Amino acid sequence: MRSSSLAIASGLALVLATAPANAAWKSYISHTLGFSFEAPGDLKTETGTVRGAIAGPQETIIFRSVDDNIEYKVTVINFTQAAAEGATLLGEMHFMFDQGKKVLMDTFGRVEPGKDAVYGRKVTADLPNNGGRATAAFYFTKGHLYMLQATVLPANGDYTSPDPGRFVDSIAFNATRAEQGSTELKLPE
Amino acid sequence: MRFFSIAILAGAVLAGTTPAEAAWKSYISHPLGFSFEAPGEIKAEKGTYRGAVAGAHDTTVFRSTEDNIEYKVTVIDMSAQANNAASLLNEATYIFQDDRKLLMDTFGRVDRQYGRKLTIDLPNNGGRSTAAFYFVNGRLIELQATVLPANGDVDSPDMGRFVDSVAFFTVRARPDATELTLPK
Repeated sequence: MRSSSLAIASGLALVLATAPANAAWKSYISHTLGFSFEAPGDLKTETGTVRGAIAGPQETIIFRSVDDNIEYKVTVINFTQAAAEGATLLGEMHFMFDQGKKVLMDTFGRVEPGKDAVYGRKVTADLPNNGGRATAAFYFTKGHLYMLQATVLPANGDYTSPDPGRFVDSIAFNATRAEQGSTELKLPE
Repeated sequence: MRFFSIAILAGAVLAGTTPAEAAWKSYISHPLGFSFEAPGEIKAEKGTYRGAVAGAHDTTVFRSTEDNIEYKVTVIDMSAQANNAASLLNEATYIFQDDRKLLMDTFGRVDRQYGRKLTIDLPNNGGRSTAAFYFVNGRLIELQATVLPANGDVDSPDMGRFVDSVAFFTVRARPDATELTLPK
């Protein structure tokens, strides 16, 4: 009995000592932007730009973290003035993501149930030049386009990692579905 | 030379025995802002559409059947919900393929508009449908062509010709396009 307990304890210690130290996943929310998501690592906020033939030049807000050589990125674009063209704007961003990549999956995304559902698209693609594998989700609701993208970099190499799926599927547009104690995202000034 | 002429003549006579398919015509609706091409006699009717996000809506349907292929254009005025265009479009595509065997799901792009094109097999060997969905100016526009079992040629190019004929720039319609009469 004693030897069995010792074996279990030493096995547990071995596992804890040798497993890679992955950062804990945290929940983030932006009441201003109307969404929440979960991601590991140290999340940083920045601004960027994107240009589409239809969308034109747009400023973006980006929330980004890197953990275990997987990059997690949320991009939000304010299209309030063009909300009625949301279907085409979402289609264009999705199309631009696919360009030059090998698409492995392209399917429906749906967040929230019933009449509150937000329909979008989910895509997985291999990046060119063995640059890794990216999984992304695209949604357009209340005048904002949301793109979540998780990229498994070559240094990680586990292209079937469940973490990209966990990341893109963590998005919620109903604030009550965010975890209690979620960190409020700081928007760039 | 005489033999050659006889062969051409015989070929022409044989060609005359192929089934008489209706010519494709161009149709346009200036009030609805689109045009398309289809064979057969187009009839306009009203219908209904319901989605969890969209709710209940009246629809305008333009339909023809030719050589056991059904051609159908459905227009739904969702201008009151236009700010939710992306979800409304994707809900419609989701409903179209729900519980069916999905064979293709890809981009559609016409005249500055991105949409989706899908092909499905209907249950119980009911045929094959190709559809295109666009959301333009507050309206959801769906073009759907269905090869019925009586036709049997589920790889018919006519489905693609139909859904790809849609245009949202009215100047792209053929000059002889027929103005669609809306149902009362």
